[in-house]
Amino acid sequence: MGWREAWRLSSVAFRELSLQAIYAIRLGNPPPSGRLDKVVRTAQRRVVQSKVIIASVLALIAAGGVDVVRLAPTIVSSPFFGVPVPVAVFQAGVLTGLLSLDVAFLWWTGLQVLPTFIASGVLPVLEPLPISDRTLRRVAGILYLRMFDLPALTVLIVTPLFVGWVLGAPSGLAIIPGVVAAVAFALALALLTGRFFVRRVQGSRGGGGRAILRWAYLVLWVLPAFAMFGFVIAAPGFLALLARTAGAGPSLTGDLLVSAFPFTFALLPSVVTQGGGVFGLDATGVGILALASAGYLLLAGWAVVWLMGTVRTVGLAPPLVPKEAPPVHGYDLVPQRPARAVLTKDLRIASRMPGYAFLVLFPILDAGAIGLFTFFTGPGSGAAFALALGAVTTAALLATFFGPAFFAIEVIAYSYGRTLPLSERSVVFGKVALIAAIYLIAGGLVAGLTVLRVFQPLVFLAFVFGELPAVLAAGFLELGILLRRARASGLPIVNLYAGAWYAILVSIPGLLVAGFPLVAFTLLRSMSTTLGISALALVALVELAVCAPFALGIGRGRTA
Amino acid sequence: MAAAGSGSDPTPLAVENLSIVYGERRAVEALSFVVRPGEIYGLLGSNGAGKSSTIKSVVGLVRPSAGTIRVFGLNAVTDGLRVKQRVGYVPETSLLYEALTPREFLEFVAGVRRLKRDAASARARSYATAFRLEAEFDEPIASLSNGTRQKVLLIAALLHQPPLLVLDEPLNALDPRSVRIMKELLSRYVATGGRGVLFSTHTMEVAEQLCHRVGILDRGVLRAEGTLASLRVRASTGDETLEQVFLRLTREDEGVPAAVRTLEQR
Repeated sequence: MGWREAWRLSSVAFRELSLQAIYAIRLGNPPPSGRLDKVVRTAQRRVVQSKVIIASVLALIAAGGVDVVRLAPTIVSSPFFGVPVPVAVFQAGVLTGLLSLDVAFLWWTGLQVLPTFIASGVLPVLEPLPISDRTLRRVAGILYLRMFDLPALTVLIVTPLFVGWVLGAPSGLAIIPGVVAAVAFALALALLTGRFFVRRVQGSRGGGGRAILRWAYLVLWVLPAFAMFGFVIAAPGFLALLARTAGAGPSLTGDLLVSAFPFTFALLPSVVTQGGGVFGLDATGVGILALASAGYLLLAGWAVVWLMGTVRTVGLAPPLVPKEAPPVHGYDLVPQRPARAVLTKDLRIASRMPGYAFLVLFPILDAGAIGLFTFFTGPGSGAAFALALGAVTTAALLATFFGPAFFAIEVIAYSYGRTLPLSERSVVFGKVALIAAIYLIAGGLVAGLTVLRVFQPLVFLAFVFGELPAVLAAGFLELGILLRRARASGLPIVNLYAGAWYAILVSIPGLLVAGFPLVAFTLLRSMSTTLGISALALVALVELAVCAPFALGIGRGRTA
Repeated sequence: MAAAGSGSDPTPLAVENLSIVYGERRAVEALSFVVRPGEIYGLLGSNGAGKSSTIKSVVGLVRPSAGTIRVFGLNAVTDGLRVKQRVGYVPETSLLYEALTPREFLEFVAGVRRLKRDAASARARSYATAFRLEAEFDEPIASLSNGTRQKVLLIAALLHQPPLLVLDEPLNALDPRSVRIMKELLSRYVATGGRGVLFSTHTMEVAEQLCHRVGILDRGVLRAEGTLASLRVRASTGDETLEQVFLRLTREDEGVPAAVRTLEQR
């Protein structure tokens, strides 16, 4: 059986993967009513919708990056960088950022979808069939690639098209090796790190110390999502370094830079059209560039081969059974009240499921990253205070935006959970408490980071606690909508890969509720900060008074 | 007796004219039976007979198309929360929170059921020790075998000492020692406090040893109900096993010799 047979089998398996990704029947969700072919088509359509959303983000990143390249002559003439930056060097720097973002975003997407791939259980179904090992490896590899097809094709096609459009066709062609390597490395990195996390995080024993270690691992998992921040923070210094290196002529630093991915490929378009002189390269430097390019392409090819051979082992793998588990120390159980039990259960599940851990960690780390920006401003300056408020605002909006996805945790063991006497109110309280806790931890982190930079701690805290009712209101509203939907037509599955579209639809009213008080603050702040914060708090409280009954009123006495 | 369920009716389970329809397929039709206090009632049937659908409707997973289900007098559809407080359920497939350990899972269940720490811990300790869960109590459920998951589900179902236990093929994945423990445990469990057990299986030997009465389901319809002795009388058999009685009452024995001959010819 060859590639054609592998493709045919992967098509069947991908239908099943789509069905499980959307309806999670293996996790106990009841099968949807209606004709099976129609249900499968719906599942496939929704998977495509999710892929289109991810691909659109990648296309926007490419468009944004290339637009900066287009504006290079204007930007480099500003005194921002401290040293004169040649246009070609600036363009190479921006393309480096673009390729880095492509790798980071695809890598991050891969980390999110890998658990869905494993949970779908499509590969274990194929294993006992009389199919050769080689074909099974190919089926697994093709399945993995098909999960990324639209996003990967967007990077592979759209980026060269945009670059070619702005810098000319030769440059567009010259960036193709770069995007090929970026996609290959991203997919391999996702699998490599995903496999590590399946073993170390999902397979980790219980206990407080191990929980801390798991969360530490999970922080590492989330870090690729901060590539944008890293790029923004490092960009001026990186461009200045490039400009100095290019101006100094041939040097060891220059040779090292051209042999470092992804700068190697980002410089190729300029070198192809203008020669090595644009970066002060002599013949040796150009040779190193060519060798590095070829080397990375070979490595990318090897990464794809490795990936195709390794996916099967990951797809088959629930977490590894420990060889010799130490005996348990005591059987003490610490039951909590239902809403708190839901919150604790969600945090424990998130600590072993990176997709959910991301939702918890991202708003907190994001606020922390913005908070760090205050160190680049003058102490006590208005800019530092504005940044601190911006960090809290972002945390409020992100925590709200991810609210529907916290509800998706209920999909896990859905049928068993429904047999427990767990009221809808307890579920709502548990989830809203999680959203509020994320917001408050993020606010606390920003306060801790900026306490010496922002000289208005009371105003800052008033802002944080003034917005809190709006965050709660947004959570109540989203959960209320989702519970109504769950009662009418089963639990909506709203994880990134399976139901991004539905999650976004539910998030929009939540974002509006979280955003109205912030708009009121922004409008009135110019008159008086006190007036702005008073308006913020007032609007937030009114929203909470409206939204909480909407969610809690429907849950009286009903089980989730 | 009424103390078991804290309701006005001491009957653990009363199912009346239950019908369950999926799309155009009728899984259960006009099914009526009662689980009496102190009784283990076995629901027997072939694959697709409607056993799991019936059980799922009792625990609130499937909404009946018609009929009523009462648990200690409480309507399972309109009073779902109070019914679930009185029921312990073991599903047919061990769908659990895979990312939790047994300890974390049992803490969640104990929390939702508002159990006291001491009582929950004492019960967890006695059941986990009996089922030899020492090595797996703090391992992620995802890494456990099917049999071990089944044990975790059994402990979760028993943690609040429910007056009604609903068990869907609960012994399937268990090792012989655990099966023996379960049989003993269930027999003693229903002996006090007016408790009841609804038990589905297609393993006739288990039903024969464990159940006080059985109901034989065939394509969604209750063909016969009673003690083994009364079913033998009804099937006009002597001292045949429950399997032979079952095959006769469901008329599935008619095709057995032909099916065996067909297999032998291949």
